[in-house]
Amino acid sequence: MSAALHWADLRLFDAPDGALLFDAEQASLFAIDDDTRAAIGRWRGREAIVLDEVPGDDREVLAALARRRVLRPAHARRVPPPRPDPAAIPVGTLVLEAAQACNLRCTYCYAGGGSYGGPARAMRPALAARAARQLVEGSGERATVTLVLFGGEPLLNLPALRAAVEAAASAARARGKRLVVSMTTNGTRFTDEALAFVAEHQIGVSVSIDGPPDVHDANRRHAGGGDSYADVVAGVERLVARTGRAPAARVTLVPAQWHRVPEVFDHLVARGFLEVGIAPASPVSADLLPTPAQDEALIAGFAALAGRFAAEAARGRVLPFSNLLDLCAKLHAGDVRDVPCGAGLGYLAMDADGTYYPCHRFAGDDALRVGDLDTGIDHARLRDYLDGEARVRAGDCAACWVRSLCAGGCHHDNRLREHALRLPRGGSCEFVRRWTALGLAAYAGLRRDGPVLAFIDRRARG
Amino acid sequence: MRKKAIQALNEKARAIERLADGEQPTAQALTDRKVPQGCTTIFDTGWETNPRPTYPVGNCQASARDFHGCVGDCWWPAQMPDGLTNHREFDEQCPNVARDWRNLKYD
Repeated sequence: MSAALHWADLRLFDAPDGALLFDAEQASLFAIDDDTRAAIGRWRGREAIVLDEVPGDDREVLAALARRRVLRPAHARRVPPPRPDPAAIPVGTLVLEAAQACNLRCTYCYAGGGSYGGPARAMRPALAARAARQLVEGSGERATVTLVLFGGEPLLNLPALRAAVEAAASAARARGKRLVVSMTTNGTRFTDEALAFVAEHQIGVSVSIDGPPDVHDANRRHAGGGDSYADVVAGVERLVARTGRAPAARVTLVPAQWHRVPEVFDHLVARGFLEVGIAPASPVSADLLPTPAQDEALIAGFAALAGRFAAEAARGRVLPFSNLLDLCAKLHAGDVRDVPCGAGLGYLAMDADGTYYPCHRFAGDDALRVGDLDTGIDHARLRDYLDGEARVRAGDCAACWVRSLCAGGCHHDNRLREHALRLPRGGSCEFVRRWTALGLAAYAGLRRDGPVLAFIDRRARG
Repeated sequence: MRKKAIQALNEKARAIERLADGEQPTAQALTDRKVPQGCTTIFDTGWETNPRPTYPVGNCQASARDFHGCVGDCWWPAQMPDGLTNHREFDEQCPNVARDWRNLKYD
């Protein structure tokens, strides 16, 4: 007598040679041949399958699927782990909003011109240094701590950046930890002093740049008016000349620009950026919500880049499209996630006044203050927020095949849609599913022994 | 070489395959659908009769399911003392099975 087996929550995708089988619960991915696919088709309608009762060849196929846990006993369902406890996860990454001010006024900015609401302000260097020390001292057993220099425009407050990095470096040295420093900047403030600082501390730089001049300057303009593209390009040239390292490009596109994704990508690669990551602008206001045609344009643009990624990979080359590389790394590992990101779980942000938030994007949102430099991290409040988010989404996510990779999506985007714009949940889910399907195909098409998969493997391992 | 019928692509899939390497059938879980329902964890006095027109008519439902579940390849009577005894004073000595089962003396 053999146990009755039940189908996993599986999805099949067409592939050039057979099909792809993705187990939504385990995030395991298999390539299957046509015979296997046909056998699945014949038996998929059955509630319970007893292998001994399955005739002939099908029994072999189903037994092979059972070995991959695609068919499994009813009691083998994955039991979700208890909700993660923020108090049990030491902070390893702190985003310092060192300058809540900006010299640009990007139309889609979620930080309201850099200040996150209220007047522009700068973090005091002494506070920045204390925050950096608190990061290192509170990082528990972590071997690496990451300090992210952020704004507004962080380079408007070089004294605070310097104080933070030096304090973090000396605290890390004293504890034998590795310090990683990164910075997101608009690229217009690379003074000699700033460049020396970046070079000295080997700071990984991401530059916000949106593509060719007309795309970039449509939204990224100086506070006093005027285009910023030429300043950014000049700044990046100085950065590369001084450090010898090309920065990554961080692109934000409004829906009206989504049909230009491939062109934006090509422009920035030609400019020598190390990688290009393209983010659809968050809907900070209703006019940034896309039309269905714009949604299609975005997915078409990403699909075009995914196709080019595959073609490059066949020649052993990596197309430096960060979105796809990150997605492939996630698919490669197949780690099941119960939370969408590290916000509040090892990752925190601090605003210029020393208040902690789960994520840098929440600065200024009083409902999401989770402690401060003086009183420490308010774990109870963090837990309430994260548990609440998980609770409201649990039902929707349970039926979704990308749940184990997405786990509910960006907290900030969700908050904008559901609280500020009062939209129903799930507005970006369809995009996430379609994009993940594109990524699955791109990932599965990689040669198993090729250099691109090796690159993805290194990325997945961090 | 013929393409494998099923090929693990990602790390998770490979980890699952490693899990199954060398795996042999082990004892079947009790949740198997062929194990008779209702005969496992409760003491059932068995006075309720089987309402179905199937053999053994008159037995309690749980006992009837046991009968069909166990006549084949698994005989597992221990949980159902009333299903296998013809103890004469069962109802006097053992009015509550959970409490009084020690009173039942078998020769």
